[in-house]
Amino acid sequence: MRSITALRMLMHDRATTAGSVLGVVAIIFLVGQQLSILFGLLNYMSVLVDHMPADIWVCTASTENVNSGGTLPMRYVDRVRGIEEVEWAEPLIRTGGLYSLDDGRFTGLQVVGLSRPELLGGPWRFHEGGVNALLDFDAITVDRMDLDVLGYPEIGSVSEVNRQRVAVGAITQSIRGFEGTVVFTNIDKARQIGNIPADRCSNILIKLKAGVGRGEALRAVGDLLPNAAVFLSRQLSRSTRGYYLSNTGIGGSIGFSTIVGTLVGIVIITLTMYTTVLNRQKDFAVLRALGARRKDIAITILFQGLIIAAVGSVLGFFLLALFLYGTMDSSLPTYMPLWVPPVHAGFTVVLCLLASVLSMRRATSIEPATAFR
Amino acid sequence: MRWRNMAEDVVRLESVTRDFFDGKQMRTVLQETDLGIAPGELTVLAGPSGSGKTTLLTIMGLVLKATTGRVLISGEDVTDKSEDQRACIRLRTFGFVFQQAALVPALSITENLLVSKSIQGDRVTRELRQQAAGLLEELGLAGYGDSRPQQLSTGQQQRVGIARALVGDPRILLCDEPTSALDVESSRIVLDSLKTISGEGSRAVVLVSHDPRVFPYADRLIKIEDGRIMSDTRNPGQGAAYEEVS
Repeated sequence: MRSITALRMLMHDRATTAGSVLGVVAIIFLVGQQLSILFGLLNYMSVLVDHMPADIWVCTASTENVNSGGTLPMRYVDRVRGIEEVEWAEPLIRTGGLYSLDDGRFTGLQVVGLSRPELLGGPWRFHEGGVNALLDFDAITVDRMDLDVLGYPEIGSVSEVNRQRVAVGAITQSIRGFEGTVVFTNIDKARQIGNIPADRCSNILIKLKAGVGRGEALRAVGDLLPNAAVFLSRQLSRSTRGYYLSNTGIGGSIGFSTIVGTLVGIVIITLTMYTTVLNRQKDFAVLRALGARRKDIAITILFQGLIIAAVGSVLGFFLLALFLYGTMDSSLPTYMPLWVPPVHAGFTVVLCLLASVLSMRRATSIEPATAFR
Repeated sequence: MRWRNMAEDVVRLESVTRDFFDGKQMRTVLQETDLGIAPGELTVLAGPSGSGKTTLLTIMGLVLKATTGRVLISGEDVTDKSEDQRACIRLRTFGFVFQQAALVPALSITENLLVSKSIQGDRVTRELRQQAAGLLEELGLAGYGDSRPQQLSTGQQQRVGIARALVGDPRILLCDEPTSALDVESSRIVLDSLKTISGEGSRAVVLVSHDPRVFPYADRLIKIEDGRIMSDTRNPGQGAAYEEVS
């Protein structure tokens, strides 16, 4: 009956209940939207590491961020291939470039060169064409999201990157790096664009044989290449994300707006729930006089907090889903890992319960004798 | 006054007083009072506003704590019971009828009846539902179970208040000015109901009022002034008039 009483009171005070629900929606949506952008940006930061099929990455010494670093000697590739646990090892070139637009302007992009003929670590989602297009010396991929920036090139369109001839061989789908447009090409074209000598590469991608212990293999590669930095993929991904979060202010900025969204929601919920209790003082006094203990009143308010949290969460997540759907494949980076919604919902329920503490204190302090005044 | 065994009292107050702080000083609103309430009687506490009759009623109902003295319910001293224990005793032992019904507007009429016995989280049994429906029927409110309090007239609401007080068969019914907001006809219906209820034998009804229409219904009329019992009359009869008690 306490839960029914809680529900009925909420339904009776529709305006204030709507206000409380709005507070929950604000928390779910505003915080969720900020988090989805944060996760979207995190994905951009480590997009190559997260999607390439390598278990181990070899980078230049002191590298913290996959998008930075110098070059490695190509002989390292042969050394690594000699390790028994390694299934394959391929060099990778990463370099910057300026794409020439038809109107004479340039736009910056990140060029990723893959070793032919395997093209391992190539693009993972295509809108048009396929990875084999990169077997052609001049071929590059462009992403569908960047078509407007690049002047809407089509497959077969010819242009220049760093004054080197390139031809669009395929169009990828939603592949973008933190530093902007990513184009893939073969390793030879990438060397030409970045003016990187034939005996150097940016990274070495290593795939281990099935069943091999990653830790041991990592140590073996590290021992073999003492002048290079060697990472498991997930280590490099984490290190790259950590680097950007701590060096760009993104973490602080999104964290701040998340806190503001949360505070706004808490204030709305607290005030509206408190208003409800103030409006219902007589009812609580009557219930107390009839035999409700303080804890029964507290439980009733607690139920109200939970109901508001549940209804607000459903509405908030519905809006958030619309937002995520609407921004899917758009230039706005949004991504929501599956573990986030339940954690976010749980966090919001806790906030609702905290927000109901003030009204709970008010309601439980109402003296039953006031029912007789 | 007829001879009466004090052990029969369902509520007994011994040397009870009550002080209030009025913002400037302590004020004694109830002077040292001894009072026993027997079952099967309709007792009316009468007196002018501010005389201390509602304070006396709420001390009896364990809503308010006495500053000094003892309160016994069916012979058990409950003076020092904790607040939660007092709430449990209220739930088990008392039915309350408030001025202007004081129904919870968010709840339906049936829910208003049931909440009085299930607010501590107890399951609403089928028997309780049947009793609630039966009480509504007895009080002429059959068919109003799903209505909201605001859909009923003031008199009907007050009858719902009486039905709520009777759910769970409490031994003592405490009524605070139940007819103050009612017209003559509604008052008569409510008072007839309370009289019938008090005549059922094991139940005591205590009614606070300064409404002279109430006095003829009293089996016992207690006059209170300035926090003191001035007179205690049994069977005051049809001729009991306001002047006699004020």
